Amino acid sequence: MSKRTQIQIGETIAVLFVFFILIVIGFMFYARVIKSNIEVEKEELSQLRSVGIAQRVMFMPEVQCSENNLIIDNCIDILKLESAQNIMNENNIYYFDLLEFSDVSIYQIYPTEASWNIYSKKMEDFKNKFVTNVPISLYDPVTRKHGFGVLKIETLSK
Amino acid sequence: MSKKAFEIQFNWIFVLVAGAIILLFFTLIVVKQKSVSETSTKATILKGIEAIIIGASVTQDTTKIENIPSANIEIGCGRVSIDGVSKQYQNLILFAPGLLKGDKLAWQTTAFSAPYRATNLLYMTSPNVRYIIIGNNNLVKEINKSLPFDLKVEFYQNYQNIQIKDLNNYKVRFIVFGDMIDFPQELKRMPDFDVTAININPNAQKGAINFYEKKENSWTLKGTSSYIGQSSIVGAVYTDTLETYHCNMQNAFLRLALVTRIQTDRLEKLKNIISSRNNCAEIYSAALPLLKSISSFSSKLAESSKLEISDINSLADASKKLSDINKEAQKYSCTLIY
Repeated sequence: MSKRTQIQIGETIAVLFVFFILIVIGFMFYARVIKSNIEVEKEELSQLRSVGIAQRVMFMPEVQCSENNLIIDNCIDILKLESAQNIMNENNIYYFDLLEFSDVSIYQIYPTEASWNIYSKKMEDFKNKFVTNVPISLYDPVTRKHGFGVLKIETLSK
Repeated sequence: MSKKAFEIQFNWIFVLVAGAIILLFFTLIVVKQKSVSETSTKATILKGIEAIIIGASVTQDTTKIENIPSANIEIGCGRVSIDGVSKQYQNLILFAPGLLKGDKLAWQTTAFSAPYRATNLLYMTSPNVRYIIIGNNNLVKEINKSLPFDLKVEFYQNYQNIQIKDLNNYKVRFIVFGDMIDFPQELKRMPDFDVTAININPNAQKGAINFYEKKENSWTLKGTSSYIGQSSIVGAVYTDTLETYHCNMQNAFLRLALVTRIQTDRLEKLKNIISSRNNCAEIYSAALPLLKSISSFSSKLAESSKLEISDINSLADASKKLSDINKEAQKYSCTLIY
């Protein structure tokens, strides 16, 4: 093979090499952009899940107030809380499908201070933790009076 | 071979190999990107369905038509999948045909109450499914009215002298109240599993449902189940197999059993605390056995392999009595049971 041909092939290989290097750099950049997009999407999804869990808790017939089967929004019946706590603990697997890795607590602020933890399923190596606080009315069916409290939902995700 | 000829040949082989490598490289990228994009679309649809499922648990009596990317969505017992990408749910209550086709998704929710709300039932279908309702009573009219406006629903009060033509729908579902109809011969060319029917004995509160499927040019009975309340009839309208209907109803009864245990504990506490008001204490005492009865029958129905009509009747009776007692509690200004 003549020297000229060898140089030509060498040039072609060099051009191809640079071409592939540029493509690899392009792909690395593209992959990084995609990765950051995925991270943002993952975070959005975690937040959405957190809001979803908060909504689910608010509308659970296990704790919700009702008057002749008419649901009262943002209201929790305190007489249901203790047994809801026991039943949700006993049926942890069932409620995991609804509430996933989260911790659901209710804090009564007025007329007296009290708290109930109705569901707790935690993961040790979580990456994100979202806390949603929802102001709620706490209904006491015995006195038929409404108190005031906060529903705190902590959701954990990897 | 001369040195010049060898050089030219070598050049061509080199160009061929390099070109093939470049082409292969880009082909691989395109194929990979296509599969990533397809998986991403499927995941987006699944995410949309997940959002509907979450939304359904917090809204009742909602009806909506969603635009989705065109896809074949398979729905089974606790499972939603799109061409291999699937999501499992442990206690999903989703009444839908086995296959949803098209770029639109119709969904609606209703509360499942016996007599207090235990959960929401979610129904989903494709506007390409054809529903043919046959019957002549108030319940039929109620069911017809409750279905979303955008669905292909045909309502006949009397089936005699009516010709059901094949309108190229991928699924046809007959909902027959009263006596079962003969198989419409115009649909005999459709695949067997795409033409299904239910036959309901008209009683608004409870009753039996027969599930039929086309077999060549006649109906074949696939099995019998039961319903309680209008919401479960609507569930049977949307679900095209007995197994899926049964699985969803079992999940609904399981939730009812759990909610009933909480209602029972609540009432026991209420009864112990409000013992001074005689009327209320008496009312609560009368309600407690009914709650226990609802709890035991709903647990039984959640675990049994068949929804026995006798259990459904007992549950409906206890539910009706509890509803009357709740009215009584209201009359005496007692705290309501639910």
